[in-house]
Amino acid sequence: MRTIYLYELAIAFALACLPSLARAGDELSARPAYEEKSAFSVAIGRTHQQDTYLSPLDYSGPQVTLMHEAMRMTHWAQRRVSFQSLLQGTFSYTENHPATANYWGGRIAYDAGWHRHWQPLPCLRIMAGGQVGTDFGILYNNRNGNNPAQGRLSFDVAASVGGFYSFRLRRQPFVVRYQADFPLLGCMFSPQFGQSYYELSKGNRDHNVCFAWPGCAPSVRQLLTLDIPFRRYSLRVGYLSDVRQSHVNHIKVHDIGRSFMLGFVRHLTIQSKGKQ
Amino acid sequence: MRRIELVIFSLLSIILFSSCIREEEFDDTPEGNLEALWQIIDQRYCFLDYKAETIGLDWNAALVKYRQRLNPKMTRLQLFQVLCDMLAELQDGHVNLFSSADMGRFWNWKESYPLNLNDMIRDAYLGRDYKIGAGVKYRILEDNIGYVVYESFTNATGEGNLSDMLYYLRLCDGLILDVRGNSGGALTYSSRLASHFTNERILVGYTCHKTGPGHNDFSTPEAEYLEPSNGVRWQKPVVVLTNRECFSATNTFVRDMRQCPQVTVIGDRTGGGSGLPFSSELPCGWSVRFSACPMFDAQMNQIEFGISPDLYCPLTEYDVQRGNDTLIETARKIIKQQ
Repeated sequence: MRTIYLYELAIAFALACLPSLARAGDELSARPAYEEKSAFSVAIGRTHQQDTYLSPLDYSGPQVTLMHEAMRMTHWAQRRVSFQSLLQGTFSYTENHPATANYWGGRIAYDAGWHRHWQPLPCLRIMAGGQVGTDFGILYNNRNGNNPAQGRLSFDVAASVGGFYSFRLRRQPFVVRYQADFPLLGCMFSPQFGQSYYELSKGNRDHNVCFAWPGCAPSVRQLLTLDIPFRRYSLRVGYLSDVRQSHVNHIKVHDIGRSFMLGFVRHLTIQSKGKQ
Repeated sequence: MRRIELVIFSLLSIILFSSCIREEEFDDTPEGNLEALWQIIDQRYCFLDYKAETIGLDWNAALVKYRQRLNPKMTRLQLFQVLCDMLAELQDGHVNLFSSADMGRFWNWKESYPLNLNDMIRDAYLGRDYKIGAGVKYRILEDNIGYVVYESFTNATGEGNLSDMLYYLRLCDGLILDVRGNSGGALTYSSRLASHFTNERILVGYTCHKTGPGHNDFSTPEAEYLEPSNGVRWQKPVVVLTNRECFSATNTFVRDMRQCPQVTVIGDRTGGGSGLPFSSELPCGWSVRFSACPMFDAQMNQIEFGISPDLYCPLTEYDVQRGNDTLIETARKIIKQQ
C-alpha cells in the first residue's frame, strides 16, 4: 500500500510541475472557454482505514462516494481564473483482517477552489491554484466500549493542480482531466491520546484542536476523469483516489480510498452581457 | 524557475516525502499477539505505575515470563489462556480479553470475598408489592423506611423515574439505597441518582487521561462536580449498602454519595474499578478491554481497589438463619437514631 501511495504522489508531483510548460505557451494561448460544467458522479471502490484511537488494525472494505462538482470561469485575470465547487459524501463499511469487527464510516467534505489556467497547447489546458475546504465525518466501531467512535472535523487550505487534455474521436470532443489537491494548512479536531468522549462531553478540553500541515497530516485527493459526449450532456468515467491521513495527539489515522467513478456532466454556456 | 513554481515544488516535496501514516502491525502468531497485547497495555493502560507501587506489578517482566510459555504449534485455546494469565497480572476487573468462545476475566475482586448478600432474603424484604421504576425496585418497609434496590447501572433511569420514586417515598423517615451486587454500567445513571441527594454543587473527585504512550503521560486532573438535580431532592438520612460486587460505575456512585450530606455507607469495601475502560484488538481479532482514564476521589486518592464503608457490616450467618439481612437491619437502626 505504501508503494502504491508513493507512486500516486509521484504522478501528482510530476503533473504539478507542468506550469513550467505553460510559460512557453501563455502568449499563444487562446482565450479560455466561458462555460460552466456541473457534474454529478458516483464512485465505488475500496478503502483502507486505520484509527489507533479505535484499533491498531487496518480495516478494509467497500466504499461509495457521491460527488457533485461545478466549475466555471470567473472574470478575474482576463477570465483565466476558474471557480470550482466540490461536494463529496463518502460512506464505507470495512472489516478487520480476521473479520471479527467492523467500522461504519461516513464523511462529508466540501471544497471551494480557485485555479489559474494556462493553455500551452491548443489541446492542453493546465491549472494551478488553491482551495479552502472542510471535512466532517464519523467512524463507528461495532464492538468497542467507551471508545466506540471517532469524530472528524477539519478545515484546511489546499494547493490544487491539474490539467485538461482535449481530443476528438469520430468528430466528437473528449476531455481528459486530472486534478490533485493537497491540504497544506489547517486545523482539525482530535481527542487526546487516551481521552474519552465522555470526558469531552463534560467539557474537559485538552489540545483537541490541532494544527494540521503535511508533516502531520499528509493527504491528497486525485481525480482522473474522461468526459464522453452524449447528446447535450457528457458521460463521465474516472478514478478517484482519496488519501486522508493524520498523526496528532499520538493517534495515527489513515483513510485511503480508491474508487472508479461514473457520472454525467451538464454544460452551461454563460453569455456575458457586460464588458467584453 | 519562477517563484510560484519553486513554492509549489517545495510544498509538494514535503508531501511526496511524507510516508504513509501507519501503525506497526504485529503478525498473527502467538508471539505477535502476545507482543501486541503487551504493547497495548504498556502504552494505554492507566494504572501501571500505581500497581507497580501497590501490588509489585512488573510489566516488563511479564512479557519475558509469558513469552516463555509460547510455542508456534500451540492452539488458539492455549494462546488465549496464556494471554489471560498475563492480563491477570494487572489485577483489574476492567481488563478482559474477548474471543468468540470465551471472555478472559479477573474477578478476584469479588470472588475472593464474602458476598454479604442473600438474594432470597433481599427478595423477602421487597415482598411482592414493590414498585419498579425503570429498573429501580422500591417499597416502604413496615417501620416507614424507604427501601430502594438498584441492581445495575446498565438499567436506564430518567430524572422523572427518580423524582417519582422519591416523591412516593417522601413521607419516609429515611432511605436505604441497596446497591449490593450492582457491578456498574453507565456513569450517567450513577451520577443522575446521586444528584438527588445534594442541594448544592459539590466536588466529588477528579479524572484525567493519558496524553501519550509513556507510563507517566497524564493530563492535569480535572475536578468532577455533582450538580444538584432539578427534580425531587432527598433531605432525610440515607444509608447506602455496599458489598464487594459494587464495581466500576457503582464504585463511582459510592464515591459521589460519600460527599453528599446525611449519607452513611455501610457493608463491605467496594470492588473498585476506577479506570474508564477503552477497547482495542489483537492481530487475531480478539478484543481487549482495559482501564484507560483513572478517576480519583475528592482528596485525589486512588479508588481502583475500592472504597471503604463508613461502617463495616458483614452479613452474619446468625441473621441469615433467621431470614434477616444484617445490613438492612443495621441501616434501619442508623436511620432511627438520626
